[in-house]
This record gives sequence, structure tokens and C-alpha cells, in this order.
Amino acid sequence: MNEANEFLKHVVTRRQLLRAGTAGVGSLALQSMLAPDALAKQIQSSGLHFAPKAKRIIFLFMNGAPSQQDLFDYKPEVDKHHGAELFKTYDEKTAKWSTDGFVKKTQRLTGMTSGQKGFPVARSKFKFKQHGQSRAWISELLPHTAKIADDLCFVKSMHTEAINHDPGVTFFQTGHQQPGRPSMGSWMSYGLGTENDNLPTFCVLISNGTGRPGSQPVYTKLWSNGFLPGVHQGVQFRGGKTPVLYLNSQTGETVDARKRMISRIEALNQLQIDTFGDPEIATRIAQYEMAFRMQMSVPEATDISQEPQHVLAAYGPQCQMPGKFAANCLLARRLAERGVRFIQLYHRGWDQHGSLITALSKQCNDVDQAQAALVNDLKQRGMLDDTLVIWGGEFGRTTYSQGKLGDAANGRDHHPRCFTYWMAGGGIKAGFTYGETDDVGYNIAADGVHVHDFQATVMHLMGIDHERLTFKYQGRRFRLTDVHGKIVKPILA
Amino acid sequence: MRILSILLIMVLASAANAMEPISFNKQIRPILADRCFACHGPDSAQRVSDMRLDQQETTFMELPSGEFPVVKGKPNESELIHRIVSDDEELKMPPADSGKSLNKQEIELIKQWISEGAEWNQHWAYEAPQHSPVPRPIKKWQQNNPIDLFIQARLKQLRLRPENSADKETLIRRLTLDLTGLPATVEEIDHFLNDDSPEAYEQVVDRLLKSPRYGEHLARSWLDAARYADTHGLHLDNERSIWPYRDWVIRAFNDNMPFDKFTIEQLAGDLLPTPSLKNRVATGFNRCNVTTSEGGSIDEEYYVRYAVDRVETTATVWMGLTAGCAVCHDHKFDPLSQKEFYQLFSYFFSLTERAMDGNALLPPPVVKIPSESQTANQNRITGEMKQQAELVRKILAESKYTDPFSGDDYPAFEKSDRIWFDDMLPAGAKPAGNPGPWTFVEGPDHPVYSGKNSSTRTGNGLIQHFFTGATDPFVIAENDILFAYVYLDPDNPPETVQLQFNDGSWEHRAHWGADKAHGAGRNNASNKLLGPLPEVGKWVRLEVPAATVGLKPGAKLNGWAFTQFGGTVHWDQAGAMGALQLSPQQKESYAIWEYFLKTVSTAALPDPIKKLVAVEADQRNEAQTKQLMTYYLENVNPVTMALLAPPNQKQAELKKELDAIQKAIPSTLVMEDRKEPRVAHILERGEYTEKRDAVESAVPAWLGESPVDAPQNRMGLAQWLVSPTHPLTARVTVNRYWQHYFGTGLVKTSEDFGVQGERPSHPELLDWLALSFIESGWDVKQFQKLIVMSSTYQQSSRITPSKHTLDPQNRLVSHGPRFRLDAEVIRDQVLAISGLMIPTIGGKSVKPYQPAGLWKPVGFGGSNTSVFKQDTGEKLYRRSMYTFWKRTVPPPTMSIFDAPNRETCQVRRTRTNTPLQALVLMNDVQFVEAARRFAELVVTHGGDQVDQRIVYLYRSVLARNPKPNELQLVTQLYNEHLAEFQEQPEAAKSLVSTGESVRNESLDQTELAAWTMIVHLIFNLSETVTKG
Repeated sequence: MNEANEFLKHVVTRRQLLRAGTAGVGSLALQSMLAPDALAKQIQSSGLHFAPKAKRIIFLFMNGAPSQQDLFDYKPEVDKHHGAELFKTYDEKTAKWSTDGFVKKTQRLTGMTSGQKGFPVARSKFKFKQHGQSRAWISELLPHTAKIADDLCFVKSMHTEAINHDPGVTFFQTGHQQPGRPSMGSWMSYGLGTENDNLPTFCVLISNGTGRPGSQPVYTKLWSNGFLPGVHQGVQFRGGKTPVLYLNSQTGETVDARKRMISRIEALNQLQIDTFGDPEIATRIAQYEMAFRMQMSVPEATDISQEPQHVLAAYGPQCQMPGKFAANCLLARRLAERGVRFIQLYHRGWDQHGSLITALSKQCNDVDQAQAALVNDLKQRGMLDDTLVIWGGEFGRTTYSQGKLGDAANGRDHHPRCFTYWMAGGGIKAGFTYGETDDVGYNIAADGVHVHDFQATVMHLMGIDHERLTFKYQGRRFRLTDVHGKIVKPILA
Repeated sequence: MRILSILLIMVLASAANAMEPISFNKQIRPILADRCFACHGPDSAQRVSDMRLDQQETTFMELPSGEFPVVKGKPNESELIHRIVSDDEELKMPPADSGKSLNKQEIELIKQWISEGAEWNQHWAYEAPQHSPVPRPIKKWQQNNPIDLFIQARLKQLRLRPENSADKETLIRRLTLDLTGLPATVEEIDHFLNDDSPEAYEQVVDRLLKSPRYGEHLARSWLDAARYADTHGLHLDNERSIWPYRDWVIRAFNDNMPFDKFTIEQLAGDLLPTPSLKNRVATGFNRCNVTTSEGGSIDEEYYVRYAVDRVETTATVWMGLTAGCAVCHDHKFDPLSQKEFYQLFSYFFSLTERAMDGNALLPPPVVKIPSESQTANQNRITGEMKQQAELVRKILAESKYTDPFSGDDYPAFEKSDRIWFDDMLPAGAKPAGNPGPWTFVEGPDHPVYSGKNSSTRTGNGLIQHFFTGATDPFVIAENDILFAYVYLDPDNPPETVQLQFNDGSWEHRAHWGADKAHGAGRNNASNKLLGPLPEVGKWVRLEVPAATVGLKPGAKLNGWAFTQFGGTVHWDQAGAMGALQLSPQQKESYAIWEYFLKTVSTAALPDPIKKLVAVEADQRNEAQTKQLMTYYLENVNPVTMALLAPPNQKQAELKKELDAIQKAIPSTLVMEDRKEPRVAHILERGEYTEKRDAVESAVPAWLGESPVDAPQNRMGLAQWLVSPTHPLTARVTVNRYWQHYFGTGLVKTSEDFGVQGERPSHPELLDWLALSFIESGWDVKQFQKLIVMSSTYQQSSRITPSKHTLDPQNRLVSHGPRFRLDAEVIRDQVLAISGLMIPTIGGKSVKPYQPAGLWKPVGFGGSNTSVFKQDTGEKLYRRSMYTFWKRTVPPPTMSIFDAPNRETCQVRRTRTNTPLQALVLMNDVQFVEAARRFAELVVTHGGDQVDQRIVYLYRSVLARNPKPNELQLVTQLYNEHLAEFQEQPEAAKSLVSTGESVRNESLDQTELAAWTMIVHLIFNLSETVTKG
């Protein structure tokens, strides 16, 4: 038995694992200990494939698809032609398109408006102004965001393939419309491993919008590891006393008591190693230690009582209400500071098919101050340089009105052909706008950015070649970007 | 050290090479497939030249350039070699931009293969399994059956020895966990230890194979493959009822249904000559896929997605074929063409299902499945109802009715509207809406029917405004017709409008237009269809006879809902139209009653009677006249009704009983083909809009022809899969069974037997097992027994340093299996040990403990699974396979231990080791509760002394005695805890109150708390969650 014990000290010990953890060994390496058949591969600080511009990502996902016409993609032409029919009509006999109307109706519409009789172009009810030196157009709904315009890079020519929410969000997060693939955060965790040894690599924070409460579900598949090993699964952080599932003991034991319990589990497990020589036991010991550190570090990370007043004031009063978007923004910064690699926020309720004016105003009110504060806060801490902040939803909204024009109850339907994203920080040009839509904001006029292009670019910023980060499953090398994706070089700093 | 071990293996491997010729299938094809096939393989669209390396003919054929890819025996004349060794960027293969490359050793291998004559064979898995000679036994090593001969021959070759048999305690634990997913009890362990007969082990095996727990345990992995769950999985993720299929699988395993029959029933049970109910339930296999009803989704797109999922699942489960690759293009590595994919697709493209599941519990096609007692009770009650009906007929025949009224001096009747609300809601009404509150608009800019305003709503999907809680209820009178005025916006009409009435329950509804309202698919009092969508652009009066929505005279309404599916709708003035009632005296006259019907209302009448009334009296035939009279005597005339009261009363009771039984009968989703099949097309890039050539259902013939009489439908597909000559079905199936016991299949990639999958570690053994399985008549239990009876299975799982180096993953099976238990087994084990487990088999899924607030923050407000309501009592302690599986938020204790998400087919679980797992075991209420309950057993059954109790504890959890150092350590810990709890009795009390099950109050709380801590500690040991 002694022979086994000696031998194991050489193979993998708890101490080695821990040392590896603090030295920032990538998860590919960690995985080789967790799943013994995985290929060991050390990731240098120079990045997985090349030097990264960003070390971490905060992705503010606006679930439900915010209306780009009412926020960023200002169209004076639409103001002029408010109420005019959007679509040209096709005459079968002459095989010609009508001269009135703006665009040919060649694509599919969702079942929600495909039966509508007319498609009147609808101007935004909100006032637009240009902001900052970059002269970026931003609507009156986002006064705080307008103030950081020069830190932002707008991509106005995003486009996607899905026209409904479930496939749309799933496509954005996993590169595939059907469930089953790993999410972006999981790919990053798989490719880059962890930067800390007491918090998860990939955290998920969810908040409910006040514009359409209870609307637009999110699904655990959006932070699922898919076919990647389970360590790459996103860990949901929740408002309230138990930010991470099962974090707290049932009986509220003291730290010392818990520490002792773990040391006893270890002592008994150690006897098993001596008997069976199974390295999995050593791994399990290490995992208990990590669990213990999480029990210490998660409450510390989520406790904002030490945040100075001016910081709390900047994020706004809702940052002290756990589970609100503002609270999640502040928490995101704290997690980023503590080395969490991928922080995914979901804010629900952006699906404004009807009552757009009131609902969209509420949604913007939920997020505006806190998201601007987040960017400022990162900047003041010198973290914006290597933190990439991303803002946007799963698709855009139509330039035509859903429902009768001028009716308070109207809104805009789903629109995959163009929508706006903004990004800030790590490796992205600040105060820059990329891509254009046509005069009525219906089609892309120049420099389209497909979801896979966006994914490729984000991976590039993180030091990953999206074509080379693959995982072989069911006989195929899978990638986040499938067989597509071009890096959008003009937006790189 | 790791690198050293890899080197060692490579040295060994190349040492073997030096003696044996290069094997094309083992060594060469994997390289070509991985680096070359993407462009020089089966995918015709991606092939950039005529050079194709996946086929024998083309590999040796002259190219248009005059060169030959491979010239046997002459590497220097082979273009393949020229290209892979070239320094010229233009010529070098694989090209730099492919991201692929060949290393020196691989290039040497290919050269050597060509030098040796470039032997070429078909991919091993596509040729039928072959009988190879069973290796000779190796002296002094234990051999129980041919499995051992194959495994040991390989070990011997690599100069390894098998391990000795594990001790009996380890064996019974391993065996019981493997065959039932539960631990062995102390009694079972003792019985085995005390039985010295040579048959002792086999008797345990036989006992376990007969246990109903066996079927549950084996079914569990199959349900991963079948992607079984209790919700639809997309968007709303509402509940789905398909658990009877889950129970069918359990039963099939317990009844030892042969695998060929098991296959046929699940893929095509509905197409058997006379399908039984059970046969049809079995077809739930391919109704388990995720479905949607998201507003705005396009039907055609989802019909395609569902069929694609069914092909992928069927191909993975039966053939280990990654068919999904061929959705968009010819498969890049395996010979499956895109056309062949859509030929398979065609089998599943013609179901009667609807693309949108309607968010319904039971989207058709479905079947009802009464239990035997339910059937018997139904028969009994219908029999009694017939007797009562006979009695009624008799009484009527004897009553001899004569009408007291004659002449034509009929009384006058008037109709009048009673308005309940207009402009303002009734007193006390609590208005609400989803989404958003009531919106009132005024004329003249908006349509208003009466008064100042109308209420309005615009939106998508099912939306509404309503109120409840009116303090002065609206009482329904006889013959009342409820009404409301509606105006549909011509520019944005809804698909459906609906009125709902609340008399304490909302189960009184009527709708117009598409069946997309609350209670869709019912068309009864809880959602009666009353006509098409009203005309748009004008005010229309909607009328609902109170009786048709189940509102009886005297019913009191406190709430009302205006509901629509999409569009813009205005509503105004609502109430009921009443008619003067017939007096009891008037009711004694048939003539007056009929006059009343003609002049006032027939609304309260059932449809057939209404039709009879519409016929002029002199136009009715004898039977019609009699029918109308009978109706009158039974339902209107007070004199005859009094006579009929006793049998009618009895009849009503029977009806109620019958309804209750019928309501309790579960239903389940099944397969059913359309009469007119839908034509399948090849879809360019898999896009449903890009139809190309039409195809018919067919199997890929390169895997073997269909049996001669096989029909061209799913039945034919199933028969083809289980034909004894099919190269894949048996291999893939036995490989999954092997994986069940050893953690890894003989083919590690149990989902992929194709060119890109791993080769089997023991090809001859795999074939031998497959052929034995077929020859046994696909006898599943016999096959399990074959494996567990082998000495290979019974080896000790000790890992020696040299074996850790030479066989790190135990692919050679040089020692016994040792790996972490599955999520379900980890939980079931503590339920069983603690005595909490409720052994009921099957039934509706249950909702045991889960952390609060998991569903609500992520779920759609309108989903019926957006709020988690934990069950109580027995339902907390059912086996984990019965836990309600909500796909968009699976039970976290399961996912954390690597259970798949059940969204897609999964035949191999990953096995990770993470800190979240430690948190579950330490902090989940279920594990703490089980610890305290088991602590009670330790105290009551474990003897009086601390060390006796520790022995009992170890034997119950780990099936072994503690070692002296363990005993010493645990005793010390116990004493520490005891001392602490004596000082803090409150902490003790809190600990022993964890969970909902009752505590044995007679036991000392402090002592119990200390034992709870010890048990909980043992539950957290690596050994406890590991099969060793």
C-alpha cells in the first residue's frame, strides 16, 4: 500500500492541484485531473492562441430584444414617412415591384404579424440627440448611457437567423438554435480556465424587467456546458441569502465547524487513497477544499456593505436591492475584480410587441443608470482596459408598427435582419460606430455583423482563435461559431 | 509522470507494431478520416478534387492529372505521400488554413502502410460482426466465461495480470448498485457472507435480476437516450404527460422483453397488426423530443426540426451513427449521404402531431390508459347506468301523459337584458390583466358601443383583462343567456376571442374563432366553441347560453374575463338576457313549453333537442315526436320528473362516479401516422424553406438491405434495425451495457461507431458479445448476467502504480470497475439506507425538495411550470427517476452530478468531480435529513456501544467493517460532537429537525445529533459516492 501512496504523491496530490489553481493553470489542464483522459495543456499568460486584449467579459444580455429604432438606430427618413406602407408589392403579371414602399418583402415574418393587413413605417416616439465627441445618436430614454457615449462602440448592423425568442437567445449564447451546445461562457471557461481559485469561472445573474414582468423566460441551457465537462457550466448567482445553490449549511454551522468537517472527510478519504490508489479521491479532496473556499468567498463577493457611498449612489438605489439589474451590475464588477472570467447578466422583459412607449421606458429605466455606472466604475478602477462589456439582445425589432399606428397599444415585432449592440473596454475602439442600416432601418446597408462574426470577435479579444477552440463530440469537432464567423477587425482598438 | 506514462504506452504500442503489420482500420483510417476526409471524403459538396480517400476504388484510381493517390507497395509513387511531405505551401496537405496537420510519426505510418501493400478494408463497424476463435485460457488465472478469455489474452500480450477477485463485501455492494441502483442491506450482506456454497454469488445475481428495482435502474439510462422529461422543453416549457411511457420502459426491463421486440414496439408499436394499448404507449419514445408553441413560430420549420431530432436520436441509439451531420450536407466522415438522411427523415415526417404543442399537457396524438381496476369499475358503472335508464323508460311508459292545456290562448313571454356592467365595473370588482391592467378608451376616436367608454387590449398570444371579487354577485336564472359586445380591429384582428365567467372557478368559458384560448382542445363547458370569429370592424353581440358553459340557475358570478389571442379588441356592456320563466303549472303543459321554446329561447336545450324543436311539429316523424316528448317528460314536466327522481338521482350519482374515474385515467403521447403521408424533400443546408428533390422512406443500404417483407414505414425501419445481419444494432447495444458496468464502453464513444469514433479496445470480444446477444434471442437479462458472472467484472478495483501507468483508464480492464455513482444513485442510496425511500414504482412524477426560487425568476409568467410547488409526504422520498424533470430548469442535484438535460438524446454521461457536488452533499436538505433518519436507525438497530454502532453504520453505507484506524477516528469524532451538542442543545435540536419527515421523539436528541453528524460525514466520503 505504501508503494501506491508514494506513487500518488508524484501523480497528483491535493497540494499540487491547489498550487496549479493559484498559478492560473487553465481548465484544460484542470480537466485532465478531473477527467483523466483529457489532454493536458497549459495556458500561458500569453493567452490560449495569442495575447488577449480582454481578460474577462461582462455580457449584459437584454432578453426579449430591445428596439434599436427607439434607442440607437436613429432614422430621420422614418420620421418623414411615418405611416407610409413599408413594403413594395410585387406584380406577378409584369414581374415588377411597385414604386411605392421602401423594401421588398422577401423574408419570413413571425406568425404574430404575418397576417397583419398593412405594415406602416412607425417613427420613434422618443427624441434622439447626438452625444459626446463621437456624436453618437442616443435616444432620450438612456440619459446616463448617453454620457458614456465616447466609451462605447456601437455595432448597428448585427443580424441573426432566428425570428423567435427561444431559438434566438439559444443561437446567440450557444451558436445553435436548438438546445444541446455549450454556451459562450462555457467555451471561455474550457478554453481559458480560471483566474481565481475560490469562485466559479462563469457566473450568471438574472433580473426581471418592469416593462413586461414575467415575460421572456431564460433557460438553464443558456449557461449549460453542453457536451463540455460539467466544470464549465455557468453557476447562477441569485439575490438573497443563498447566492449560489447549496452554499449554506442546513444548520448554520460556524466556519470552524465546517472546516473541521472537511478536514475529517479528508482524513477518512486519505485512508481510502492508501488502500485503493485512486487519484479521483485526491481530486475529490481538492473539490471539498474549493467548496469550502467558495463558502467563504461567495458571501464576501456578494456583500456590498463595504462599498463607498459614492459608488452606491452611482449605480442608483436599486443596486441595494438583491436581484435587481443595478444590484447585478455592481455584483458583476465585484466578481470581475475577483477574477471571474465570464459574467453573464440577463435582464428580462424587452419584448415590446405592444404598449411600447410605456414598457420600453420602464425597461430603459431599469438598466440605464446602472449600466453607465458599471462602465464608469470599471474605468475608474483601471479595469475597463481588460474587461469587455457587451450590451444587446437576441434580435431587433421591426421598423413597421405591430398593431394600429398611433394606438397606445402598438409596438414592434421581432426583426432578425438588423439590430444594435454596444461594447466597451478590452480591445474595442471607443467612441466608434460600425455598420449601417438602410434609410428605413429595415435592412443592413453596410458592414453586416452576423452572430457568428460577433462570437468570433469576442473570442479573438479573449486571445482565442475561434476556429481552433474545438471539442470533439459525436465524431465531430464542434466550435462556438460552427463553420462560420469572421473577426470584425474594424472595431478592434 | 503523466507524460512518462503516455510515452510508455506509445513505446508499448510501437513495440507491438514492430511485430504486426499495419492495420488499415486501426492505424491508417483514423488519421485519414480526421485530417483528410473533410475535403477528400464522403461529402460531395465539400470534395475539392476527384481524389477521395474514403473509398477503396478511388484511393487507388488514376486521377485526371495522371497521378495515383496510392500505389500499393510504392510510397514514392503515391501522390498522397508527395503531398503530405511537400514543403511547397501550395501543394502541402493538409493545407495550412485547414488548421490540421500530420506529425512525423503519422507520416511514417502511412508510408509503412503503403510499403506493406496498402491493405484496404471497409470501416470495421459497417461489416457484420464476425465469430473469431475464443482465445485459449491462461493457466492459473480465473476464467468464468469467454469474456475473461478475450480480456485476459490482451492483458497477457501487454504483460499485465488481472486483479484477484474483490472480497465478498465489495462484490455484493458493486453488484447490488449495478443491478438495482441501490445499496445492499446489512441482512443481504450477511446472507451472502454466510453462504459458502459455490453458487452463492450467482444466487445473488439471480435475486437482483428478479428485483423490480432492476427494471427501474436499467430504464434510467434508456430514458437518457429517449430524452424523456415532464415538460415540453421550449419557451413556455409547460407540463407534458408522457410518464406512462417511462413506466412502460421499466416494465419492459422487468419483464425481460427481448431487445428486438423492445425496439419494434418503441419505433413502430402503433403499426403492429393489432396494436395493444401497451404497444402504442411504447411509441412514446419518439414523442419525447422537445416541442414548442412559442407565439409566431412557423409550423413548417418545426415539423422539420422534430423529424430531424427523431432521426438523430434513432440513429444514435440503435446504430451509434452521428446522422445529424448529414442534415446539411453529405456526412464528412461516414458514408451517410444527405439524401439517405432525408430518406430516414421521411419515416418520421408524417405524424398526425401538430407543429405547435399548444402548451397542452397532452398534445395529440395521445391514448388513455386505464388500469385494470379502472376498466372494471367503468364497466360496472355503465352496466348500472343502463339498468337505471331502463327503469326510466319503464316509468315513462307507464305514466301515460295527457296535456292539460288545449286551444291557442298561449301566455305572453318577453325577453329582457340585465346589464351587469357598462363603463364601470361592478362594486368590489378587483380588476387585473395580463400583461398590464384594464385600459379604457373613449369615443369618438375609439369605438364605443354604449355609454362613455369601452375597454381594449392589444398584444400577442393569449392576453386578457378580467375581474373577480364582485361583492354583489350576478345570479344566473333559468334560460339566461350571457352576453357582451365586442369590436375587432379590422387592421389587427385577433385569432380568438373568449369570455370566461367565474362563479368561484373559471371553468366556464366560451370562445369564437381559432382554438387558441384557455382550455384549448376541450370544446366543453370549460371552453365551448360558439362559432367563428365575429365580423371585424363592427360591434357584435356575443351570446353564451349559461347552460352551455355549465352555469346552472342559481349560480353566482363574481368575475368575468375578456380574453383574446393576439390582435386589438374592444369590449363593452355585458350582462345576461333573461326570459320570463314558465310557472310550474305551465310546465305541466307540453304545448306551452313548446310555445315558449319557439317564441323565447331554446338556449338551454341540448343541441339535438334544439334541432327537433326547429322542425315544425307536423314535419316531425314519429321517432322525433317521441324523442321530444321524452325529453319534456324527463326534464321539464314536474309531475313526471317527480316520478323519475329516484332513478335520475341514482343516475347522476353514477355519472359523477364515472366522471371521476375517467378523469383519473392517465393519458400519454404516442406516435400515429397521417393517412396521407407528407412528402419529404432533401433540404439544402437543412433549411426547411430550401426544398430540393422529393425522397421516399428508405434505409441506407450500405448498412444492409431491408428484410424482404419489410413495409416501407417505421415498422420496416425497426425490422431492419433488428435483423440479425445488421452490423450495428447489437454491437451498439451490448457496448452500452458494457459501459453500464465498466464505466466506459469497449467502444469508448458509445454514441459514435463511425469512422471518427474510437475503435473498440477489444474488437473480437465486442463481436462475440454482439453475436451471443443476437443468438440468445436478444435476451437482455441473460446478457447482464453474462457480464456480472465474468471474473473480469469481479476483479478488485485496486489500482496499482504500474496499472495506473499502463492502463490509466482501465480500458484493458486490468482491474475491477471503479467510478463515481450516477446522480440518481447517489440520492437513492441515502434514501434507501435511511429507510426514507418509498418503493412505489411508476406514476406521475413528483417534486421533492429543491432550493426555493429556482423556477420563478427564469420562467415565463404564463407557464404552468413557472412556480415550483414542492410536494410533501411520500412524494418527497420516491426514487430519483420519478423526480419531475422540467427541461429549462432541471433538478439541480441531478445536473450538478452530470445528469444530462434531457433536451437531446444522450447515451453516455460525463463524470466530473466539482466543488458544487461537495456543496450538494454537505448542504442539501435531503442528505442532512437522510443522515438524521439513518442516525435513528444507528441508535435503534446498531447495538448499544459506540463501536458497534459505527460498525453498523459502515456496513449499511459501505457494506464493510471499519478498519481499526477508521473506528478509532470516528469514535473520537463522535465523542467530540456529543460533547459539543451537550453544550448546545439548541443546535442539536435544529439539526435533528431537518427535513419534513417525523422524528423518533423517544431518542435522546443530543446523541441523535452527534450520530447525525457522523452519518452525514460518512455520506460525504468519496467511497460512498463511488462504486468500487
